[in-house]
Formats: sequence, C-alpha cells, structure tokens
Amino acid sequence: MASRVSLKSKGKSSGGKGSKGMEEKSTSQCLKEWSTWAMKKAKVITHYGFIPLVIIIGMNSEPKPQLYQLLTPV
Amino acid sequence: MAGMVPPGTAVLGEASAAASAKNINEVGKKVDYMNLPCPIPYEELHREALMSLKPEFFEGMRFDFTKGLNQKFSLSHSVFMGPMELPSQSAETIKIPTAHYEFGANFIDPKLMLFGRVLTDGRLNARVKCDLTEDLTLKANAQLTNEPHMSHAMFNFDYKGKDYRTQLQLGNGALFGASYIQSVTPHLSLGGEVFWAGQHRKSGLGYAVRYETDKMVATGQVASTGMVALSYVQKVSEKVSLATDFMYNYMSRDVTASVGYDYILRQARLRGKIDSNGCAAAFLEERLNMGLNFILSAELDHKKKDYKFGFGLTVG
Repeated sequence: MASRVSLKSKGKSSGGKGSKGMEEKSTSQCLKEWSTWAMKKAKVITHYGFIPLVIIIGMNSEPKPQLYQLLTPV
Repeated sequence: MAGMVPPGTAVLGEASAAASAKNINEVGKKVDYMNLPCPIPYEELHREALMSLKPEFFEGMRFDFTKGLNQKFSLSHSVFMGPMELPSQSAETIKIPTAHYEFGANFIDPKLMLFGRVLTDGRLNARVKCDLTEDLTLKANAQLTNEPHMSHAMFNFDYKGKDYRTQLQLGNGALFGASYIQSVTPHLSLGGEVFWAGQHRKSGLGYAVRYETDKMVATGQVASTGMVALSYVQKVSEKVSLATDFMYNYMSRDVTASVGYDYILRQARLRGKIDSNGCAAAFLEERLNMGLNFILSAELDHKKKDYKFGFGLTVG
C-alpha cells in the first residue's frame, strides 16, 4: 500500500513538473546548457588545435624558419 | 686629556673606531619602507628548497631531444621507457611497464610563452603565459585527455604592484583561489591565500612568511587544510647549498622531515637528500659536451622496499 501510494505521488509530481517545464525553460537552464556545450567544444578545439597553433605562431616569427627544418631531425 | 693617550692603544683605538663606525653606518642606514623590493610570487615561496630537495626523479630510460628552429621557437621529441607507478591504496606499489613518445612545441617570447606537449595516447599538456599589460599576466595550464571527466584546466591572473603581488585562480570543477603577498621589510615578506573547491565542497585559508638574505632563505607556510610546511636553505658557498624541509599535517598527524644538498659544479649538478621516511635519493646532471647532458636518478625507499634507478640523455 505504501509503495503504491508513493508511486502515485511520484507520477503526479513528475506530471506536474513536466507541464511546468515545457513552459518555463528558465534562463539559468539555458545558460547552463549553452555554457556546457561551449566548454565541450572549447576543450575539443584546444585538444586538437593547440600544438598546430604553436607551430603556426613559431613558423611566422622572425627569422622565419624553413619548412624542411620542421621535419628533419637535425 | 685626549693628548695623553699612549701610542699602542691609539692603533687599537683606530681599528675599533673603524668597526664601530661601520656598525653605526649599517644600523643608521634607515630602511626606506616606501621602496621595498617586489616579493616573489606566492606559489614560488619554497622555490629554493624545492629546487634542492625535489628534482624530477624518474625510473627507467629517458631521452629528450630539443631542436631549436630559431631563437624563439623549438620542437622537442622525448622518449621514455620504464615502469610507471599507479597510485594504490595498499602499502604495495604497483608498477606497470610503459613506453611513450612525446612531441612538444615551445614558443618563447618576452611577452608570450606557449608550451605544448602531446603524448602517444592523446594526452595534451599545455601552458600559456601572456603579459597582458606591464603588470598583469595571464597564465593558463591544462591537461587534456580523451577520457571524459579526466581533464583539468587552470587560469591564473597575476597582478604585480610596487611591493606586493596578487593572484586570482580559476579552475575547472568550480575551483577558485586568491593569494596576496607583501614585502614588509627588505628581507621579510608575508602572504596569505584563500581557496574554494566547489566540486569537493572544500575551502581553505593559508598564511605564509618568507625571510631571505644573501646567504639564507627561511620560509614557513600554514594552511587550514592542516598543512604546516617550514623550510630553510643556506647557501654555504657559490657551489654548495644545503636545504632542509619539514612538513607536518596536524589533521592526519603525518610528519616528514628531509635534509639535502645541492652542488652546482662546472660540469655537473648533484643533488641529494635523505628523508625521515627512510628514503634516500640523488640526482646527477652531467654536461658531457655542449648541449649534451647525461642524467642519473636514484631513489631508495627502504621503508617500502622500493628502489628506483633511472638514466637518460638530454640533447639541446
């Protein structure tokens, strides 16, 4: 009996929340979702792009090194 | 009556007069409290003790090759083969033999420093230091991995004033920290820090003091996480420094004391230390030739019966 009661109340509350949630996607929720998405993208970009960025900045600094110097060991 | 002084005492009188004049000069030289030197950054408080007592010990073989393409830009290739220790809860140490190759690129400019290292398993270690203005510096440090939730990043904003420094730290996992250090006399500086870790719901406060002269450096640090760290480094001569370190955690009642030496010779640098945990260690860097360094590292932990030996070569 107790379990049935609790299930019922759960159903009611989730139903209630569901209807409210559809109307009121609050700005803080939006902000959190977008900032998480932005952090994830920034992490992937940094992970793949940091070393190429350093190499590009280095190859464009004065005096400009040649491309073969990048690849040969000596 | 001044003319009655015998000649023997006149010579002594002169020497003592010169000595007392020197003392008066030193004491009389007023400390200019408006012109104190800028203190060292808060995180480098124990710098001398760390340099002498905690070099980078390793186990296995290490080979580092740094190739400079121009004054500011260089690439580095590094190979490591040896056992890696896994952190384990039990008293036994678990070691797994690994080998990896690490590629790195460095760009060093007076205003901008970029440092990147990537390993064969995809881990990236990146450091950026940028002088936004003359007094404000941005530093960033990140370790990124392919595994989810295992990456860390930290951003620091440092402001350097005339005789003080402040730092603001932001890290992932809602980590906030701030620190402040101020020169109080030409030799003494005091500092404090506060941090808040959102993910672990921890916050803490800490104080630090550093007293340095030409010959010695003494530092002390207390934190509300229970850590007390004291260190003392004495520069015995140009080539020799001796250091000692004491760490005490008053929450977990853990004590470690260590004593070490640092010999900086013309062709070699030898650092050794012995610990109260029964660990004796030494680290030698020998310059074989211009740009060619040979490294030997040894760490004997008698309490845990863990003996680590490493050798390596650094080129460039």
